[in-house]
Amino acid sequence: MYYISIKKEDWHRSLEKLLTSHDIFVPVKDEFSLDYEPFRLSQAENIAYNTPKPATPLKNFFLPVRENVTSAMNNGRPRIIIGAPNCDVEALGLLDEIYLDEAFTDPFYRNRRKSTILVSSDCFSVNNHCHCTSYGVKPYTMEGADMALLSEGDYIFLKVISDKGEELARQLSSAAGVNDPESLLFADQRHEKTEALLAELNRGLPDYQATGEIIRRAGDHIWVKYASKCVSCGACTTICPTCSCFLLIDKPDFKKVKQMDACQYPGFERVAGGEDALFELPHRFRNRYMCKYVWRPQKFNSLACTGCGRCIEACIGKINKNELFMELT
Amino acid sequence: MMILMASDTVNIYKPLRATLGEVIEESPLIRTFVLIPDEKFVFKTGQFIELAVDGVGEAPFTPSSSPLVTDRLEVTVMKTGYVTGIMHELKPGAVMGIRGPYGRGYPVSEFKGKEVLILGGGCGLAPIRSLLFALEHMKDDLEKVILCYGSKTPADCIYKPLFSRLNSIDKFEAYRTVDVTDDDWDGPVGVATALLDQIKVKIENSVAVVCGPPIMMKFGTIRLLEMGYRDEQIYLSMEKNMSCGLGKCGHCMMGEFFVCKDGPVFTYREIKHNPEIWK
Repeated sequence: MYYISIKKEDWHRSLEKLLTSHDIFVPVKDEFSLDYEPFRLSQAENIAYNTPKPATPLKNFFLPVRENVTSAMNNGRPRIIIGAPNCDVEALGLLDEIYLDEAFTDPFYRNRRKSTILVSSDCFSVNNHCHCTSYGVKPYTMEGADMALLSEGDYIFLKVISDKGEELARQLSSAAGVNDPESLLFADQRHEKTEALLAELNRGLPDYQATGEIIRRAGDHIWVKYASKCVSCGACTTICPTCSCFLLIDKPDFKKVKQMDACQYPGFERVAGGEDALFELPHRFRNRYMCKYVWRPQKFNSLACTGCGRCIEACIGKINKNELFMELT
Repeated sequence: MMILMASDTVNIYKPLRATLGEVIEESPLIRTFVLIPDEKFVFKTGQFIELAVDGVGEAPFTPSSSPLVTDRLEVTVMKTGYVTGIMHELKPGAVMGIRGPYGRGYPVSEFKGKEVLILGGGCGLAPIRSLLFALEHMKDDLEKVILCYGSKTPADCIYKPLFSRLNSIDKFEAYRTVDVTDDDWDGPVGVATALLDQIKVKIENSVAVVCGPPIMMKFGTIRLLEMGYRDEQIYLSMEKNMSCGLGKCGHCMMGEFFVCKDGPVFTYREIKHNPEIWK
């Protein structure tokens, strides 16, 4: 791992050149939100580096809402995705465990992972519901992405993490290696500041190790209470960077369409005979918490919640999972 | 040179085509479909397949035929929901889709030298029939095979000729009961677990296999435990909404397990910590 630096205007010009061979997405801020948009040099000043966090979770680049999974493999143009926060990068760990599972590798997911260069963006500030550090996730990237980006003054600093990152570094003509440790001191300062803000914001919130036991012990009254404001819209699972359940839909000529699904929708577990373990709304509501904090941690090595806080922001019933945890702590 | 891995060319979502050979009426609501797959189809007893009606949908079934036969496959289907309803309308010659086989079947090699007690109910006899074929093939290595099976009514019992055939095989015993009798029935009346009172089995050298509706699985397991079976001697074939079969889609989650990939056959010991199993 090493750093390179490049003048911001050269970085943007290099990206424009790369558009001939790559699709490039960057985080763009407007008056309403911050989200990924295709890179355009003319819009470069609206790119929001090091700012949490794009409205769309990173998973959507790898798991489209709906796709034909019996069609020919899509060998589209390679992509460069810039600006993913580390909570989203960390979330890819669980998706990789499920979709790149050796026994049954999803070829569509694998192709997208292979053809994507991921440039994450260290967080220099926090949003209201960010709580990555409570779950042991750093607000900056050390692994899991190909590069990590830090914008400082007129320069872009790029932490080169993987071979794919190195390949991209080679294509940035004016980039030079950073040999002067002094010039990177700002990075440590930024990281420390963000971590301090997160610690302050989430004081008392239980860590990921503790969440499982808390959820396991939660009585029915907790689920009834919090589910009373839930309308089963599935926003929390749709926006979650680790939720990846889907439905297979049959189309004529044995075509299959894979569509993202959610355990929060009625009928998710219903079997033909009529039994439905998640028929009652509080059971469905509890299922998501059990899945994230008890069951997936038992089965997988990666986190099933990386503390991005999007589920809290997306909930139209204003259900705040961290309030639930605080109530039970 | 680029090396192509097997996984680079395999599309896990694509079904194998199979032609419907014969449709056998087992009971008013249950039919067995004989399928001729386009390619040799190998499965282990207790594993399941996703069987698709073109353009309609697919559903998980454990083949009811012998795992030793690879050029045809039998699937016994109860008419229960949307997909199975349309399946029951299909005529020989129809082309269907098969994905699989998926999951972990019965570990029959571990049954060697033992008495195998099988408790079945309703349509649960379908996977059990496949298991019985496998056990018959290895009967020289087994001490005994006992089948206790219950159906709602005498008419609901599937594979009726199977019982007399089993009773004619050395080391095999088969018992039937019904919940509700009719004029022609002179056998036992009551739930399948009641049959366990009349059998002789050396529990310490035995395994028990339970397959049937959830309620029967629950009370069957409780009864076996009362008889002295240990948790690890009881094999349960769990039924959930297995949709992808690949351990991904999440529909069949039972606690930390994907029933489709980690099961569908579990020992009671593996899953008893989870209160969700009987739901």
